[in-house]
Amino acid sequence: MAHNEITHDVIIVGAGLAGTWAAMVAAREGVSDIGVLSKIHPLRSHSGAAQGGIAASLSNTRPVAGTGPRGPLEEVPPGAEASDSWELHMFDTIKGSDWLGDQDAIEVMVKDATEIVYEYEHMGCVFSRTDDGRINQRRFGGHSAPRACFAADWTGHVLLHTVHEQALRYDVKFYSEWYCMDLIMEEGICRGVVAMDVLTGELYTMRAKAVVFGTGGYGRAFAITSNAFANTGDGVAIAYNAGVPLMDMEFVQFHPTGLYRHGILMSEACRGEGGYLLNSQGDRFMNTYAPEKMELAPRDLVSRSEQTEINEGRGVMGDGQGIYLDLRHLGRDKILERLPQVREIAINFVGVDPIDAPVPIQPTAHYSMGGIPTTLDGQVLADADGALVEGFFAAGECACVSVHGANRLGTNSLLDASVFGRRTGYAVVDFIRNGAQLHPVSGDPAAENRARINDLLSRDGDENVEHIAQELKWTMTNNCGVFRDGERLQLALEEIKDLQKRFRHARTMDKGSRFNTDLLTTIEVDHLLQFSEVMVAGAIARTESRGAHSRTDFVKRDDENWLKHTMAHKPMVYEDEDAGPRLSYKGVDIDWEKYPPQERTY
Amino acid sequence: MFDFLSFGKTPEMIKKRKTAFVRVQRFNPDEDEKPYIQEFEVPMTPETTVLDALQYVKTELDGSLTFRKSCRHAICGSCAMNVNGSNDLVCHRNLPESLDKTGVVTIKPLPYLPVIKDLVVDRTSFWEQYKRVKPWLVPPEDAPEKEFRVSPEEVAAINSAETCIMCGACYSSCQVIAMGKDYIGPHALLKSFLRVMDPRDTIPGERLDISGGEDGAYRCHTIFNCIDACPKNLNPTEAIETLRKLAQRRIAFEEERAERQKTLTEAAD
Repeated sequence: MAHNEITHDVIIVGAGLAGTWAAMVAAREGVSDIGVLSKIHPLRSHSGAAQGGIAASLSNTRPVAGTGPRGPLEEVPPGAEASDSWELHMFDTIKGSDWLGDQDAIEVMVKDATEIVYEYEHMGCVFSRTDDGRINQRRFGGHSAPRACFAADWTGHVLLHTVHEQALRYDVKFYSEWYCMDLIMEEGICRGVVAMDVLTGELYTMRAKAVVFGTGGYGRAFAITSNAFANTGDGVAIAYNAGVPLMDMEFVQFHPTGLYRHGILMSEACRGEGGYLLNSQGDRFMNTYAPEKMELAPRDLVSRSEQTEINEGRGVMGDGQGIYLDLRHLGRDKILERLPQVREIAINFVGVDPIDAPVPIQPTAHYSMGGIPTTLDGQVLADADGALVEGFFAAGECACVSVHGANRLGTNSLLDASVFGRRTGYAVVDFIRNGAQLHPVSGDPAAENRARINDLLSRDGDENVEHIAQELKWTMTNNCGVFRDGERLQLALEEIKDLQKRFRHARTMDKGSRFNTDLLTTIEVDHLLQFSEVMVAGAIARTESRGAHSRTDFVKRDDENWLKHTMAHKPMVYEDEDAGPRLSYKGVDIDWEKYPPQERTY
Repeated sequence: MFDFLSFGKTPEMIKKRKTAFVRVQRFNPDEDEKPYIQEFEVPMTPETTVLDALQYVKTELDGSLTFRKSCRHAICGSCAMNVNGSNDLVCHRNLPESLDKTGVVTIKPLPYLPVIKDLVVDRTSFWEQYKRVKPWLVPPEDAPEKEFRVSPEEVAAINSAETCIMCGACYSSCQVIAMGKDYIGPHALLKSFLRVMDPRDTIPGERLDISGGEDGAYRCHTIFNCIDACPKNLNPTEAIETLRKLAQRRIAFEEERAERQKTLTEAAD
């Protein structure tokens, strides 16, 4: 075996819910030679930051009769008619996606939902309970029934710890603080990855029969974001550079309640439990935009409503860029029981106790609807015609199945990551059992990546990597944000191109090999610059408004021309250096009898 | 050495301060013989956090300053460090409130753990102990079609233990850990408590053998450092106390658990 070569049957990159589910299931099923890489300790993964809940039509609670859409909830008594169904969950998700979600994938997700929530429960997840001991459920935006199963407001944390613990139970090997740098692809077959042991700086060629990406979202491309420092879309960029297309990258969800200026998530559960949004005049302005659903309209609509209030001068705080989230009427007890983490965050970061005062919030980049296109079993697609990349799988936020289409509903992300992480785990087991090969690797991929690192370390230009990143993020927030138009998107594209050029003169200050986070930041910023261009290119091309992609110069949804997924390929090497991604399009899976596109009002 | 930077400064001036003096312990075992303190001047607003300050230093002054970070809102557990002598998550720690009257804050790595580089410590022993207590639930084999029925009261009893983010602040404030790494430690004992108390768990006796054994609850000196250190306001000492008591009546507790599990699929009262 060559120096610095490691082999496994399966290598999984990313240890959030999707990656850990895949690993745990495969190990449980007897595929034991698995290595899971994570650039941070697995339990630090951003799945753990999800707060409000995971969707499943359990029918454990229902609205008290006659109290309206925002009244109190009660347990569904034994023997009573079910308050929810997978069909209802499916329709809500399709409508939420503005009909861009693939309906076959959505059906799989909502049908698997109840089973996977029960599986979590059987594995030890400490859910909040109804009085008779069932999993409690609360309301969430865009869902027409109380469907969010929750553990106070730290649901993601509890799910992540539960599935990680079970992975340890089945002896999954974790490479904690190992950074995946590259995908080894030859002749269209994925043969492994190149990864760095962050502690020593050593690079390894890691060969495998199957590689699974569960590398998370790309929300760090924005200045105001709920995403962790780690969410730099590495997997998405690495796949793109290896020739894999990216799908629907222009669709980024802006969550309506990011903490003012910080962007930190204030769970949608705040509104699910009854919280109000107020403008500077103290009005519940959602009355104007979604009179029926009010604050519990889907996130794209609520964020646009907030941004409109702000743009028209009815924002709060010194610069008028804020909106108030008012929880006071929920009362102290409910806030302490249901929203303890949110309260702690508000007190810690803006010095406001939601029990006593409204909390300033603003839209914040939150969720990446786009990503690496896959089949229902996590197999990565090579093109719009459905060809597969042998040996390469993806699940969770880095993937695009697509269940969320143009706009994800709250609580469907924990569900997506869990369901498709698990399905990918089973698919990988089948793939290995059906005789998957460890394909030979030509050349020395680790050495090639070492050369890339040496090049980055040797640059002594006067550009600061973080300054470039900051400029990119503000460009994206200002020009590719809640509202977009052709002119501003074009501006963003030019700035990205310029920043890509400046990046070549960026200097890494830390030149050492031991735990060099400065180097990792440099590589991450390189990734941000690469996929941001894809996002903007897709947004420029898509001359319509759909879900979270809202263009002020094309305000209507255009099903005739744009009811299709964007597929972006990296330009071939022989193409012009400035050539943007090659865009092609892929049809949406739609059941025209049952769920044809409709006007989307709330 | 005479402190030129703070000479003549009054508390009123501190309040109006626009910058902080951030003293950071540096150590790169590849280059340095021993750790040393380096001071940086960092601009601040009333909302600046200690993490913001470290990030500023890394971005603007010295990119080789090394620390862990991720979520920046106290849920991922990456950034536990020692600030002015006590352990905390630097992401939720306000900078102005952390300054002494001369405008100084001192940041060091978590104590009692080997330093990898600057503020990054080696948590190997921490995770080994976590794994040692078998943090996973071992549920009954015949799972129901739907959920096990667990009452809100039973959830309330273990709820806070479930919110532990495994940051290590308690572990590296513990005097018993300071003396030796064979002690299971407050973090893993809290996890063990969570599993032992869960009505769905089938191996509480086996767990009590470990967590109530000689490397477990009995080693705790009830100094309460872990409670003071916990950034999530949890109470490992109380959990350890419970484990100790349960270990004393292990057989009876196992019988109670077996009895409880007979009704685990029935509606709670």
